Amino acid sequence: MSATTQSPKSPARKPPATETASSVKMIRLMGSVSLICGLLIVTTYRGTLAPIQRNQEIIMKETVAELLPGVERQVVYGVQPAGGITVLKNLDYAGPRLFAGYDASGALLGVVLEASDRGYADVIRTMYAYSPSKQAITGFKVVELKETPGLGDKITSDPAFLANFRHLDVRLNADGTSTAHPVTTVKQGTKKNPWEVDAISGATISSRAVGRALDKSTRDLLPIVNRHLGRIEKGE
Amino acid sequence: MAHVHGQELPASTAENMEAFFNGLWNQNPVFVQVLGMCPTLAVTNSVRNALAMGLATTFVLVCSNTLISMVRKLVPKQVRIATYILIIATFVTIVDYLIKAISIPVYKALGAFIALIVVNCIILGRAEAYASKNPVGKSMLDGLGMGLGFAFALTCLGGVREILGAGSFLGIHLFGANFQPWVLFLLPPGGFLTLAAWLLIFSSWKARPRKKAEALEEIAA
Amino acid sequence: MNQASLSSIFLDSLLINNFVLSVFLGICPFIGVSGKFATAWRMGVSVIFVITVSSVLAYASNLLLVFLHAEYLRIIMFIVIIASTVQLLEMFIKKTSPVLFRALGIYLPLITTNCAVLGVALFQTAREYSFAQSVVFAVGASAGFALALVIMSVIRERLELSDVPGVARGTALVLMLAGILSMAFMGFAGMGGGA
Repeated sequence: MSATTQSPKSPARKPPATETASSVKMIRLMGSVSLICGLLIVTTYRGTLAPIQRNQEIIMKETVAELLPGVERQVVYGVQPAGGITVLKNLDYAGPRLFAGYDASGALLGVVLEASDRGYADVIRTMYAYSPSKQAITGFKVVELKETPGLGDKITSDPAFLANFRHLDVRLNADGTSTAHPVTTVKQGTKKNPWEVDAISGATISSRAVGRALDKSTRDLLPIVNRHLGRIEKGE
Repeated sequence: MAHVHGQELPASTAENMEAFFNGLWNQNPVFVQVLGMCPTLAVTNSVRNALAMGLATTFVLVCSNTLISMVRKLVPKQVRIATYILIIATFVTIVDYLIKAISIPVYKALGAFIALIVVNCIILGRAEAYASKNPVGKSMLDGLGMGLGFAFALTCLGGVREILGAGSFLGIHLFGANFQPWVLFLLPPGGFLTLAAWLLIFSSWKARPRKKAEALEEIAA
Repeated sequence: MNQASLSSIFLDSLLINNFVLSVFLGICPFIGVSGKFATAWRMGVSVIFVITVSSVLAYASNLLLVFLHAEYLRIIMFIVIIASTVQLLEMFIKKTSPVLFRALGIYLPLITTNCAVLGVALFQTAREYSFAQSVVFAVGASAGFALALVIMSVIRERLELSDVPGVARGTALVLMLAGILSMAFMGFAGMGGGA
């Protein structure tokens, strides 16, 4: 694939051709400049491809390790539109991804999934650990947010809020098509059920966004995780 | 500017120094020329981001100034700007990939503003006003000076905003746990107000000697 | 594919994440041409025009780049598209409506260096907006730019009559006003995620 085919046409229109030699010279110059630029870009692109992928993998691995303490081996699955799963070779995948983590003996510790929704300022992206044996969310981390510092960004640090996700009930309904109870965010101090998220007062909108994100993600993806649990447990 | 060919090569050290310090201070792109406002305001909510942006811009400036100065005699006038933009866009693409390869958190923090270096008027401005008329060495130094001047200005802004808005510098907390950060300075209004304050400081500092001279003139008259 | 609804994208780009006052795009023309109301609204209209057209073209060309697996040429492609859009629009308006050309003519070339135009193209790609979403985003963002520009021009016309200290005149004053306006616009932030 050649970069130089994309060389832009010069926006400057040449004046009524006084001599063809000058326009030939002009085209030749633009061509060679485009060629040099194309070469430079392609070289950089090729050269940085591997480090970029490695960086992304390291960040993901670290997040998964943080959410699933004791993890030794990780396998990444991509969820296909039809509901099947495939093992991914690299992280570049358009659909939802499942990060399965295994301990030293090879037993499945849990699956880390992604969830995002719109917060106060922009989209909040989070990752959470799901334990199929406990049927619960056991860990949670905000990976990207632009919420108001001092207010909305408490969702990354508030200990009471984070305590919600040490064991958040997300068991599936009887026929396994969705979660039995939707994850709901409630006003601070009014949490009664294990599937409710206690909001942070002063960061209600951000807390609700987290609840909505988790609800959407658990509804869509946990049935798929459970349907393929046998495969995921074996790591294939 | 018509440089005779023989004159160009042995640029004196003094001239080179001038090319370098011009951008760093006298013609500081942010504080004096008031150029490149968008990245100046957008990415200066922490010193780390400000430094990263400043260095990325410096890289693009040095590279584009150098290459443009090399080809300056070959480029016909009509396609001048198109060629410059092509060259600048190339180096911006390169720096975009380089930052991604070095640190993904920094890449995410700067976001689209790396790609937007391409429309930073400082770069096209230096290409047109300096690199297209000066030898390679001087153009490179001019790019370096301007770039570091830009980085310096960004760090000044980022420093004030991070210290006031988060109570830290480069992520190191400066005050005790009781410090209540002035969060507004991390938010968009803080960007505008901090830059306004710096510009006020600079212009009143520049206005001072002139007043003295005026006063002397008045006395003399 | 991004799931955001068209109305939320519009509201978001117009007010909540206003391009000038919150995302910091297009600050140079914001400072430069906000002195007079008459020029400000003309510039605003021109920008809406250019951004919408270039957003459509950027969407199409991005499809091409993705198809060719040449995403690394995106920045170059977009900047070329914007530069040519501006020139083509200039010629088109000159031919079809001399009246409009007289009103907007001198602002069009200035728009090439307006980073809001490239910003729209880059953001719509990064957020994986569909075609309809991209167009709504482009209209919202550019209308937000025009809105900020017009508000600022009205304030500045008022301030012409007041006694501002010499050192604060010019850019520093505009930035201070923008800071206050930006604070006012922060009030819109809750509108997007309230549900």
